[in-house]
This record gives sequence, C-alpha cells and structure tokens, in this order.
Amino acid sequence: MTEDLTPQEENSALAAEYTLRLLSPEEERAFETHLAQDPQLEAEVAQWVHHFAPLADEIAEMRPPKTAKAKLMTDLFGEVTQGQTAPSSIWSRLGLWQGLTLAATAAAAILAVMLVTGPAPQTPATGPLYVSELSAQDDSLRVLAVYDGSTGGLRLTGTDGTAATGRDFELWAIIGDNAPVSLGVLTDDGTGNIILPPELQSTVGGMVLAISDEPDGGSPTGAPTGAVLAVGEMTDI
Amino acid sequence: MDISDIDHLISRVALGDRAAFSKLYDATSAKLFGVALRVLNNTASAEDVLQETFMKIWRYADRYASTGNSPMTWLITIARNTAIDRLRATKLTADIADVEDRVAAQGPTPEQSAIAGSEVARIVACLDELTEDRRSAVRGAYLEGASYADLATRFDVPINTMRTWLRRSLIALRECMAR
Repeated sequence: MTEDLTPQEENSALAAEYTLRLLSPEEERAFETHLAQDPQLEAEVAQWVHHFAPLADEIAEMRPPKTAKAKLMTDLFGEVTQGQTAPSSIWSRLGLWQGLTLAATAAAAILAVMLVTGPAPQTPATGPLYVSELSAQDDSLRVLAVYDGSTGGLRLTGTDGTAATGRDFELWAIIGDNAPVSLGVLTDDGTGNIILPPELQSTVGGMVLAISDEPDGGSPTGAPTGAVLAVGEMTDI
Repeated sequence: MDISDIDHLISRVALGDRAAFSKLYDATSAKLFGVALRVLNNTASAEDVLQETFMKIWRYADRYASTGNSPMTWLITIARNTAIDRLRATKLTADIADVEDRVAAQGPTPEQSAIAGSEVARIVACLDELTEDRRSAVRGAYLEGASYADLATRFDVPINTMRTWLRRSLIALRECMAR
C-alpha cells in the first residue's frame, strides 16, 4: 500500500478489510496466520465485527421454506425429529379417538397429573431425553415438548398460537392404538411442566402427544371433545 | 424471544441440546436467511447457505462464549461469511428483481433488532461523515459481500484506487467510532 498510514492504522485497516471480506483468498490466509499469533489483532477484528454489526439491522427477515428445517434436522441427526411435517399416519389415527371415551375416562381418573406453570428447573439432564414439536397442519399452533427421563418431567413450551377465549389447550398422550390419556391443561400460550405418570414413563419413545381444543378447565368427559389442534411424536435424542 | 433467550439457547446447543437447537432455528432462521439472501440474491443458494450455517452453529456453538459478541452478531457473522464463501465459489446470475420485490414487502421488526439503538445510531452517524459513494461502498461490502473488483466496477475506478480510498474511509470510520 502506498497510503500514509501509521503501522497501527495499517493493521486496523487490514482487520476491517478482513472483516468485510475484501481481501483476496491469499491475503485472507496470510492475515489469519498473523491473527492466530496476535491477540491485539484479534481484538481489532472483534472490534470491527462489533462496529459493522448494526448494518445488518436493515436486512429484512425472510422465513425459509419449512422443508429447509426438516432437511437440516435429517442431515444433522439422521432422522426427522420434529413434528413440523406432521406425519399423516398420526393425523389419520385421530379419527379413532372420539369413539374411545369410556376407556379414556377411566384411565384419566386413575392417572393423577401435576401441572406446574412456573419455570422449569435448570438442572442438567442425565437420563434419556425425548423431544417433539407438536404442530398444527397449518402451523397455527406449535408447541415444543421435551421429556427428561431422569426426572420424569415433561416440559411444554408454546412457540406459536394461543387458546381461543374461554377455551383451553388440553394435552393428551397416545400409546399405540390406546385411547388418549389426559396429561392436563396447558396455559393459554401452550406452556406447562408436567410430571409424567409412572405408567407412561417407560413408553415415551414413540408416544404421540396431541393438543385438543377444550372448554375452560379441560375436557368434561376425560376424552378429547374438541378438535385436535396439534400433534407430534416423541423421539429419542 | 429476546437476546438473553438466544444467548441461553446457544449455550444449550453447545451442550448438544437438540430441542434448544430447534428453538434457536425457529427464532433466528428468518434473519439468517435474510442475510444469506441479501448476499446471494438467489433463494436456492440462500437455502443451502442457511443449512450450512446451522450445521456450523451446531458444531461450533461451544466457541460462541469466547467471542464476546452479542449472540445475533455471532450468528449473523457465520451466515454472512458462509454466504460470501458461496458467492466467491460460484459466480451466480442473480435474479435480483425477484428477491428485491419480496424483501421490500417486509421490513425488520424492531423487537428482532440485533443491536441496541444507540449503537445503530453511532455507526450510522459515523457513516454519514463519509462521502456518499464511500458510505455506499462500505455498506455494499458488508451487506452484499462486494469485493474490491465489484466495487471498482460499480464506481468505475481502478481497483487500486478503490482500495486506497476505502481503506482511508475505514480509518476515518474507526476514528469516529472511537470518539
């Protein structure tokens, strides 16, 4: 360079060019060699990253296609762990539910469910972890479910959608072809912390969770009475 | 979802928490997709870059804490660099009109803003001290990943001239930001 920059300015300009990605690939490599040995230069780059960051504010958000997430999860984890592509088999199974009220009433009466709406404890999980994203076919309701096998706790976090006025979200567990078992009523934004009944704790893998639209306080019959709003299958992670 | 939530999610991802990764994707993919689109002007390429970006985030989340930058800045930097790598690797024929139409349709939401208002004001004020074309060159380099060659063509000057005055602009910018 022919400019009249001090060595310090020269370094800073180079750090800025590096941050902006203006250097040629050869220059980039040479700079990175220096960078690895010079904490001051590293700080200079960090400073520039910080300075330029607000420029990204004007970039509009664009929602990527839904298939992008499924592909990412499959590529990273080998299988689709999320319910966002709600498998049709789960939805088609739902038709059976309305006829299974009697069995479900008995089951629901036996299984005591604890519903806590406070924040979940932040203890690290040591047991098996299962996860599912319960989602509506049109994405109007999305709830993330995480089950920690070491505590038996099932944590629901709503990320999209709220219950209609005077209505409640009720959470159900379905194992195989059995009738849905109520796990309790969630908050209006789809959040809840639930201790899974011991009978269900051994069958979390492959368990289907569903959220139905119910009268205030939950289903009066012990079986889903309203529309099924979201479903997802629990998957081992 | 605010900055500290994203910060927390990244630290969970660093521990291999897939549910946190899923939430982080839901919370930030629209911004990162926007960043990639701005550089690439091509939806298919931007999707590839988004994919690669999140694979890097999954792999390198444990390095986040050491950078000292805000979580959105860290994520955007990964997305931007991945997009520019892609841009440099393939010379694309851009479908600019298509993307610009859709980008114009929705502005950034204030609550999703990555940076505190005062810092935005500061860089904007410092950029304003530069002449119009130099300001435009810095923004072009950052937002679109323009190279010196691209900028030289755009401003119709030799590459060395472009580089000389952009470097001067960067030094002026740094002095302004340090005030």
